[in-house]
Amino acid sequence: MKQVAVFGYSRLSMEAVSRLDKEIYDIIVIDHNPAHLALAEIEGLKTLSIDFRSDEDLKSIGIGSTVETLFCFFEQDSENVFLILSARALDENLNIIAIVDSPESAEKLLAAGANKIIDPYEICGRKIHDILKRPDITDIFDHTVFGRHDLHLAEVVVPEKSYLENSYASQLGLSARYNLILIGVVNKQVNDKLDFVVEEFDRKLNVGDILVILGPSREIRAFKKDVENEFCKI
Amino acid sequence: MFSKLIIYFSYQLKSSEKYNNSKLFFFNLLENPRSKLKNYFDLLMIGLIVLSIFFLLYEVEHETGAVGGYLEHTVLVLFVCEYLLRFWIYSDTHIIILDEHERALYLNIKFSLIGALKKAVYKKIEYIFSPLAIIDLLAILPSYRPLRILRIFLVFRLFKLFRYSNSAKLFSDILASKRYELLTLLVFACLLVFIASVSIFLFENSAKSTKINTLFDAFYWAIVTLTTVGYGDIVPYTTGGRLVAMLLILTGIGVVSFFTSILISAFNEKMPVLQENRTFAELAHYKNFIIICGYGRVGQEIAKRLSADKQKFIIIDKKEQNVELAKKHNFLVIKNDASKNDVLLSAGICRGATTVLCITGDDVTNVYVTLTSRHLNKDIRIISRINSHENLNKLYQAGADYVIRPFEVAGMLAAEFLGQPVAFEAISGILQNQTEIVMETVMVSVGSSLENQQVDAIELKLKKLTLLGVISANPVHLKHKNKYQVKQQHFYFNPEPGFILRHEDILVVFGRKYSIDHFRDQIEQDRLLHRKKA
Repeated sequence: MKQVAVFGYSRLSMEAVSRLDKEIYDIIVIDHNPAHLALAEIEGLKTLSIDFRSDEDLKSIGIGSTVETLFCFFEQDSENVFLILSARALDENLNIIAIVDSPESAEKLLAAGANKIIDPYEICGRKIHDILKRPDITDIFDHTVFGRHDLHLAEVVVPEKSYLENSYASQLGLSARYNLILIGVVNKQVNDKLDFVVEEFDRKLNVGDILVILGPSREIRAFKKDVENEFCKI
Repeated sequence: MFSKLIIYFSYQLKSSEKYNNSKLFFFNLLENPRSKLKNYFDLLMIGLIVLSIFFLLYEVEHETGAVGGYLEHTVLVLFVCEYLLRFWIYSDTHIIILDEHERALYLNIKFSLIGALKKAVYKKIEYIFSPLAIIDLLAILPSYRPLRILRIFLVFRLFKLFRYSNSAKLFSDILASKRYELLTLLVFACLLVFIASVSIFLFENSAKSTKINTLFDAFYWAIVTLTTVGYGDIVPYTTGGRLVAMLLILTGIGVVSFFTSILISAFNEKMPVLQENRTFAELAHYKNFIIICGYGRVGQEIAKRLSADKQKFIIIDKKEQNVELAKKHNFLVIKNDASKNDVLLSAGICRGATTVLCITGDDVTNVYVTLTSRHLNKDIRIISRINSHENLNKLYQAGADYVIRPFEVAGMLAAEFLGQPVAFEAISGILQNQTEIVMETVMVSVGSSLENQQVDAIELKLKKLTLLGVISANPVHLKHKNKYQVKQQHFYFNPEPGFILRHEDILVVFGRKYSIDHFRDQIEQDRLLHRKKA
């Protein structure tokens, strides 16, 4: 189980939490507003009311030890900045995702130590722009990848001793064999940047590389199973 | 009997298509500010006026001969025609008579022709005494030979320019709006000039080596001094005269500065109107623009992106702060309430706008604006933002085509990022055109080389493109698997190699921007080539 601490329970947190697989993630919701906590309890979530300003309280819920991911979803940017600063001091490797309210706070949040900031207004603006400019593609992604239809993005890490190691990206033939489309590969040895398949075709896969694939979840599961099975040959 | 004849004649006129059409034509030509014809006509008139003034000046020192005469006559005829036409279209006499007649019938009283005619004539007289009509008349009159002395009034033709230039008209409007203040000042200035000229005349007339011999000289001196011009050709010599001068100079400064401040404050007051006029004038040139209701955080984001795309748009917001911000970025903006019909209409919802975005932070406003927009234009695309989930259906009911839920989209992205950061960055990079790799659609048009081809025959891999799927509404494809319903169409993910493309199918491909463009160009060229052969 991966532990996720959600600070601040709003519509945004509700949506994010509902999308997380409860079997993989152990979620705990912290808010200083009892009404918000009550809402979270209705959803069947674990809740706690602690003072986020106190390092002791943060430690008590496992920040610095068991908690791997921190969602800073407070409404005030200043509260989020404070929380990020405290949490980052407690744990160097914590994965911190924060929302930002006013655009000038984005830099402050990053400077405080957030790994990823999410600007709901910017995302909304971008989304509307997409609808205006490319309605077809936006529609597809809304209904499939981001929607209810069974079409998902997935990451597959090349494990040791799998058949993927030392094979070429172009020879995988994912679309015929698994009904999956390979979007790109991240070469962990070089950098964390994603190389798109269309660009570099003859690319030898190494252990630790990440394949980004798109397809129905059944096919993704089948592919992952085969990859992890070291005796599987193709 | 006579009145019956007139009423019959009026009805004839009212139903006569020819009469109405010609009247409409002249209305468009002379008065309708939206018509193109008026623009051309105005330009022609400005040209003629300038030319005739030029000849007037030229004539002072030179002989112009026949050409000048002809020009003068042409201009005069045109002016007279214009004057009479304007007189004609100013009011509809027959409509006034008919209205009176119908009223009389309705109230069951005796119809009085005299009364109706009086009203009609009154309307026409109203025209004759309107300032612009007086200027028109003054521009014509001096050409009449016996009134040659009025030649100076030919310069009035310049005033005619007011008619044809909007900014000049605006200036006169501004002056008119400060009528009361200006009048007060004028009365005060007149009084001052009167007192000063009389007293300087009394003091100076008897003095030695004086230049003030007549009351007119005194008047001239008073004006020159009051306006702080002070040529110095006439100066007071007596102590009394100098005292008058001193007082007049001091009050003169007051009068001049008061006058200036009135003008400045009037301009300041009219500034928003001026800017709004400019906005509407600019908007009138646009086609296919977007109306953005609400310039909050979301609106700013969209405006930024749209302006980078060179897409035209207009912003409506009622918050002063947001309006100021939009102006700072040089966006077209109307400061008003977008839920009012006339605001949306003047923003062009029924004239050139393709999309309305209702993206304020308040759900009630969004629903109301959506409803208003849908009511005003049945076919326009409406994209709305909703902040609280329970209002979703209300927006669809109000007529929105798309509803965006910012917090849910953001929440979803947060969850995606936690689970699969790499994939998430990749796909959002592609979708947002941040990388060089983009995802685009290619349409299979009728007669293109793609039509009736199998998917693997296109050899997209050689073109360095990846086919993600095909969008189609064609029922032929329904037997294929991996189909996802998207609105009225289906999206066929990862089509089999034997998938045969039909016209109006849409390929969804991703790759470098220029590979996609190249692919598209090739298809289009092929299509044109085939058509030529055929």
